[in-house]
Amino acid sequence: MGAMIQNRTPSGTAAFIDSSRLDARLAGMVPDDQDRAFVVRCIIGEGPAHHRGVNYVLLELLSTVVDALGGADVEALRARGTVPVPMKVSPHLARPGSLMAYPLDLPTAPLERLAPGGSPELSAMAACLTDGPPQHALANAAMMWLIGAALDRLEERGRGPKRPSSRTRSRPPSVGEAADRRRCEVPGGGPPSRPPGAKR
Amino acid sequence: MSEATVDLPSGLDQAFGAVAGELGMATASWLFVRAVARCSGDEGVAALADRVGSSFTVLDAVARGWLAGAREPRTGPRPVLEALGKVTRLVVVGVEATFLDSLIARLDASVKIAMVAHSPLAVDWGRLLDNYGGRVERVDLDTFQNWAGKRSALLTFAYGRRTSRTTVLPLWLRASGSDVRSQFHALVAWDVLGTPLELYPRWLVEIDAESFTHVVP
Repeated sequence: MGAMIQNRTPSGTAAFIDSSRLDARLAGMVPDDQDRAFVVRCIIGEGPAHHRGVNYVLLELLSTVVDALGGADVEALRARGTVPVPMKVSPHLARPGSLMAYPLDLPTAPLERLAPGGSPELSAMAACLTDGPPQHALANAAMMWLIGAALDRLEERGRGPKRPSSRTRSRPPSVGEAADRRRCEVPGGGPPSRPPGAKR
Repeated sequence: MSEATVDLPSGLDQAFGAVAGELGMATASWLFVRAVARCSGDEGVAALADRVGSSFTVLDAVARGWLAGAREPRTGPRPVLEALGKVTRLVVVGVEATFLDSLIARLDASVKIAMVAHSPLAVDWGRLLDNYGGRVERVDLDTFQNWAGKRSALLTFAYGRRTSRTTVLPLWLRASGSDVRSQFHALVAWDVLGTPLELYPRWLVEIDAESFTHVVP
């Protein structure tokens, strides 16, 4: 018999996680204390231990970058549009006319550096970021706030990538559009499937 | 428990099982302990624990508490209300009639309440829910997630705590899978016993108390 692959998470993997620290980091994004406690639990209190640890490390490091650049202007990001992070219940449990969503939205402004606002491509990106189990989707959303904040600070300093000046400043993708494109299948590790109606 | 000499009616264990199904283990225990104490005094309570306690561990704990001087369950809902916070939907996993009555009386009328209709004991769910006059809706194990949301909470009843472990209905394990945990804002255990179980917890299961967002004493 060949040697068994050891894939256990070392004990104490998540011992470095400081939930109060992450709670403080997210205060601007989720102002309500109880909502934020829920989001923090989903990001670093649920799911496999190594994911909890990864989420904490990446969010802490990104926060460090943002702090070094002068802090996050969360309201400026929020004003440029957000989409909800949907709660993934089975289809038969969905409440008609009411999207079940987490209390942390995904900011769309950072994505407008990659695709025009309101475009199917941007909607597909948002769908990819908000898909999957909540410890992924909510950590993705939190990271997007921090990445967006960092990019904005870099742009203010004239050192970072400029936002596309010719981009369509149309509305951000609606809740329905985001929900319609929640599925983000990446067969064989390839690129996300093209949303219906997208230009080739 | 000391050897009991009081002669209690036969079939008490069956009667207790029937009552516990619709009222809950702790509520039924208080009912039985009081009734027996009224008829046969502390000796009768000791006999009840000896006779039925090994099958129904919560009854044993309540009887021991009675013999140690406890005369009322602690049903004050304030810590539970604090744990639930701004919840707008509450799904109750398990039954404890006395405690639920106390909680529902203080819960804001705008809060929707449901109960997961599932029990290892025989329960007439229609009769049980009729007691709440339409205030509590029936949900099942395959539909209660319909109540999930950022202002939704799951509440169950815990039966004592010893260090980091607490004892709950097995139904809680069926209902609180990893998918559900991240769909409800709060996962609350209300310790309706207040004392650790001393006997093997038949009908119940031990879990890590930290798996709840709140364990309310």
